[in-house]
Amino acid sequence: MIEAKGLTKVYGEKTAVGGVSFTVQAGRVTGFLGPNGAGKSTTMRMIMGLDAPTSGSVTVNGQPFAQHRAPLREIGALLDAKAVHTSRTAYNHLLAMAATHSIPKSRVREVIEMTGLGDVAKKKVKGFSLGMGQRLGIAAALLGDPQTIILDEPVNGLDPEGVVWVRNLVKYLASEGRTVFLSSHLMSEMALTADHLIVIGRGRIIADAPIAEIITGKGQARTRVRTDQPERLMQLLAGTGVSVEAHERELLEVSGIDPRGIARTALENQVMVYELTPLQASLEEAYMELTKDEVEYHSHITTGASVPAQAGGK
Amino acid sequence: MSTTTVDRKSTRNSVGPGPAFHRVLNSEFIKFRTLMSTVILLACTALVMVGFAALGAWGTGSFAEQVASDPEAAAAVAAQGGDLAVSIPTSGIVFAQLILGSLGVLLMSSEFTTGMARSTFAAVPKRVIPFLAKLIVVMVSAFVLTALSTYIAGLVALPILGNYDLKLDLGSSQSVKLLLVNSIYVAAVAAIGMALGTIVRNSAGGIMSLVGLFFVAPIAFQLIPGDFFKEASKYLPGNTISPLTAVEHVPETLEAWQAGLVLGAWVVVPVALAMILLKKRDV
Repeated sequence: MIEAKGLTKVYGEKTAVGGVSFTVQAGRVTGFLGPNGAGKSTTMRMIMGLDAPTSGSVTVNGQPFAQHRAPLREIGALLDAKAVHTSRTAYNHLLAMAATHSIPKSRVREVIEMTGLGDVAKKKVKGFSLGMGQRLGIAAALLGDPQTIILDEPVNGLDPEGVVWVRNLVKYLASEGRTVFLSSHLMSEMALTADHLIVIGRGRIIADAPIAEIITGKGQARTRVRTDQPERLMQLLAGTGVSVEAHERELLEVSGIDPRGIARTALENQVMVYELTPLQASLEEAYMELTKDEVEYHSHITTGASVPAQAGGK
Repeated sequence: MSTTTVDRKSTRNSVGPGPAFHRVLNSEFIKFRTLMSTVILLACTALVMVGFAALGAWGTGSFAEQVASDPEAAAAVAAQGGDLAVSIPTSGIVFAQLILGSLGVLLMSSEFTTGMARSTFAAVPKRVIPFLAKLIVVMVSAFVLTALSTYIAGLVALPILGNYDLKLDLGSSQSVKLLLVNSIYVAAVAAIGMALGTIVRNSAGGIMSLVGLFFVAPIAFQLIPGDFFKEASKYLPGNTISPLTAVEHVPETLEAWQAGLVLGAWVVVPVALAMILLKKRDV
């Protein structure tokens, strides 16, 4: 179990992590989701005692990481696929790490096999692809057979087979009762892997809930409406909390009001509606919704096809 | 959580050994010997030491032969000849200190430039333990390598000197003293290098500061007019080796014991600073 209380990290004038508190429970996969620069890696480095928090504290299984008697057997972490001297072979890297805890060579060979590095274990890490580097990082994290596993962006650079492998691995580890904490900026990956989600944006926790709750709770229900008088319906629906997007002629997407409300408004005003379809918000959309004010770097894409027309005060 | 998890944890804590010092020392030694660049640098040092001793023996020999016709010079050489020959095995020491000092820098700075430091200090969060383990590996290997290559250099120089009828006794007290003092000195330089590598965290910067301290500063201090720099120059780490190895005390230099203390301070202060910074800074 990982417990963070008021964890804060300030670099100069920039607050990377601003007083976050959360608990990562054992026996399930907890996803740590946020856009780039949200503070995920900083938080994970603080858990591992590599960065000292400006204020606040974080404990792993009740103790600060540095106070564990056998840290590698307690917590395994993949913080960065490049946390390796690249002139050393994968086997020697793992061997040196294992030596600190008297972990036998047989275990080193075991994690090499487990992560599919058998063919390249005796090669220098310099020549590794990003995906092989990730596998080596995961092998290092598993070395001490730890109760708690922290993986920072484990699927980055992995091929599709590797992505599925990581997904199954973390689920299996959690099913054994271990604490699994994995970060990603990819919502779609989290939707498939995590049981519980902690969403972070600009150093603050935005959501901390089971994944199902995040999809249904935060994601606003949207309704697709087809009508032959879109402009008139937009004006009629305009109001607090209601937003309408005109996607194409005669097609609207309405949120902030349920289909029954839309139908009533249309009926009362004699506007013909020929489609009313409730749209399930995808996790991706829920995520965008959650973090849209929190992303550090916005990209602006201009497409002629769908210019959102916002009606009503937001 | 569930009872199974609790059981798991308690049994785990009772079986697994943690990062005790001897285990970390073993890990640092594995890291040391599994880098090809380290092995190459060590081999280069040995080669340079032996090569310079051979050249020194040849040069000294032919010099002695040339002056043999001049009775006055010959007498001077005869009086000093033993001293000339005895320092031949360590004639490459300036280069050994440069290479092994740089190795000290590299072994620590590369931890940070490659990101290995994150693995190292995640495995052993009490950062002073891997630092000291690495320091021991660096100093012991610098000492052993210098001592061994000095001895081999002596063995190579012997037959060359013999050609010129010059004598060198590798077992003499002065030979043994030179071998030991020079080896300790190189180990000290390697320790200073490692401290610099920890402070600067950058390979080029660390090696440049080492070169600045040992090669640039002594020359600069001599060029700057004024008694202060002449006096201060004696306290530079690179200038401690000649009083330490001198047969008799040379005027205007430090006494051997003073030089020893100065060199010791040059090791202890940067190493202490490096340890404080290593503990305080983020990895």
